[in-house]
Amino acid sequence: MASEQQKPLLEFRSVETYYGRIQILKGVNYQVHPGEIVCLLGGNASGKSTTMKTILGIVKPAKGTVLWEGEVINNLRTAERIKRGVATVPENRRLFPNLTVLENLEMGAYTRTDAAEIAADLERVYEFFPKLAERRKQRAGTLSGGEQQMVAFGRALMSRPKLICMDEPSMGLSPALVDQNFDLIQQVNEQGVAVFVVEQNATAALSIADRGYVLQGGRVVIEGTAAELLDNPELKRAYLGG
Amino acid sequence: MRLSEVTERVSAATARVPRSVYAVGGLVIAIIFPLLNMAGWVETAWLRVGVISLLFVMLSLGLNIVMGETGLLNLGYIAFFAFGAYTTALLSSPKFELRWPFLVVVVLSALIAMVAGFVIGLPTLRLRGDYLAIVTLAFGEIVRLTITNLQDFTNGPNGITGIYSPRLVGEGALESLGSTGPAAWLVIDKPVEYYYLVLVCVAVTAVLISNLKNSRIGRAWNALREDELAAVSAGITASRAKLLSVVLSAGIAGFAGSLFAYYSNVISPESFLFMQSVIVVCMVVLGGMGSIPGVILGAIVLQALPQVIRQAAGAARSEFEVYRMLIFGIIIVVMVIFRPEGLLPDTLWRREAHEVDPREQEKTRQSLFDLEEGEKDLEV
Repeated sequence: MASEQQKPLLEFRSVETYYGRIQILKGVNYQVHPGEIVCLLGGNASGKSTTMKTILGIVKPAKGTVLWEGEVINNLRTAERIKRGVATVPENRRLFPNLTVLENLEMGAYTRTDAAEIAADLERVYEFFPKLAERRKQRAGTLSGGEQQMVAFGRALMSRPKLICMDEPSMGLSPALVDQNFDLIQQVNEQGVAVFVVEQNATAALSIADRGYVLQGGRVVIEGTAAELLDNPELKRAYLGG
Repeated sequence: MRLSEVTERVSAATARVPRSVYAVGGLVIAIIFPLLNMAGWVETAWLRVGVISLLFVMLSLGLNIVMGETGLLNLGYIAFFAFGAYTTALLSSPKFELRWPFLVVVVLSALIAMVAGFVIGLPTLRLRGDYLAIVTLAFGEIVRLTITNLQDFTNGPNGITGIYSPRLVGEGALESLGSTGPAAWLVIDKPVEYYYLVLVCVAVTAVLISNLKNSRIGRAWNALREDELAAVSAGITASRAKLLSVVLSAGIAGFAGSLFAYYSNVISPESFLFMQSVIVVCMVVLGGMGSIPGVILGAIVLQALPQVIRQAAGAARSEFEVYRMLIFGIIIVVMVIFRPEGLLPDTLWRREAHEVDPREQEKTRQSLFDLEEGEKDLEV
């Protein structure tokens, strides 16, 4: 692996999680390094969303450790994790539909108190997505799907993240929008932000990722660079229709 | 739909009036009202209606925090009012021969209600919607039945009588200053005095809540109401923010309950029926969830209007009593159909109630006008 020597931004070490008595993650290991795009592939009920919730601290691991920049964060509250640089673009975007674009973006900076810096970041987001500047006073629920995705991204950027976690960015979008979305991920990544993409659409995800993991029944069954995964015969059969 | 057009126009008109106009106007009317009584133009009975209306304004403001801001339905809200009222009754009546200072009693009453809010809130806040409504309903009934059956403490259905009038300065404080007997102006026992006391408390509560609404915690409440997962992802600790809203709203009810006990001299379980909780919910819905001027208006309308009608009804008075709840019901049904956002709506709730905000629609129409001839087809 390319960046083995660097200290990982996020690391899972044999993480196990349960919902009641049902075990979801059965000892998984992930590493995300600064500036990387890492994708997590897997079918339904493989533990993708649970992984996401564990990163955010909504689900706490029963065994194993979650590390952020080398520090154990198993019991850190979600708000604290966001302050340290974790942001998320949830599944189906989850905007605040009755708040305006501007208000949605401001909610992204909820954990911050530096008003001047927040204003500067807002300008940066508007520069990045000029469409949002035009629509800043408009209710988020009335935007088109593509524009809503921009708001979700912008909102994530407003917390000045080091890592953005994306849950199924291609879910429920037209093929054209999926492409636009993955372009956005690359653009955001070029700003130096690491991205952890949870996806079912393996082709799209691997086309932009540096590395990837394949999750099955709560275990990582395949891992490697994007190129390696694309060549993997098992993966080809299972996900790429080869 | 003709009627919906009318209501939309009313919305647009009310939205254009600055909020400060409502606040100042309402306060001026409220201050002048007792003067009409002193001048002999209005009967003292109306002053009593005023006091009770103001107490319900406090209750509505309190319930609005959980219902309007955080979006949690509470059908047992009157229980917190009962906690405040009974705390006051026990600490300031011949029951245990106590007469604690007014300020101490009021603060303790609010605190006890807040503790009750915390205790019921902690285990139930993971529930949502209907389930939360059922649990809070049960809570309200449990509190009322406990009060009714805890004879030794509460005198059961007979209630606690002879609650002392509030004394702004503790007993003995004046004597030590050389005064003989309590000075009349330091004891609150006339309707006018109660009226102004409660009015000050309402004003303080309204200012406090409007500041909270525009603070970080207010935004957190609104975000939780809109989408809990998104709110949590933005760094809001849901359990903490929800609990805070429940505890605060309970405290305001306890505060109002304390004033109610002082004012009415007698309290008994029948003041804390389930129907009372429902009426407070109606006040918030009618006035406009999340809107401070709205819920104030809603409380006054639903509390004072029946009294006005009763007076006007004259001989048919008892007839009207029978139909009172029916009329309430009809008003709420009509409101929910034609103006779900309430009489004086909050911006967010208005957006929620209408697919397209009437004011946004105006803007869209204007921008369509601005388009060049050729572009029109493309846009539409």
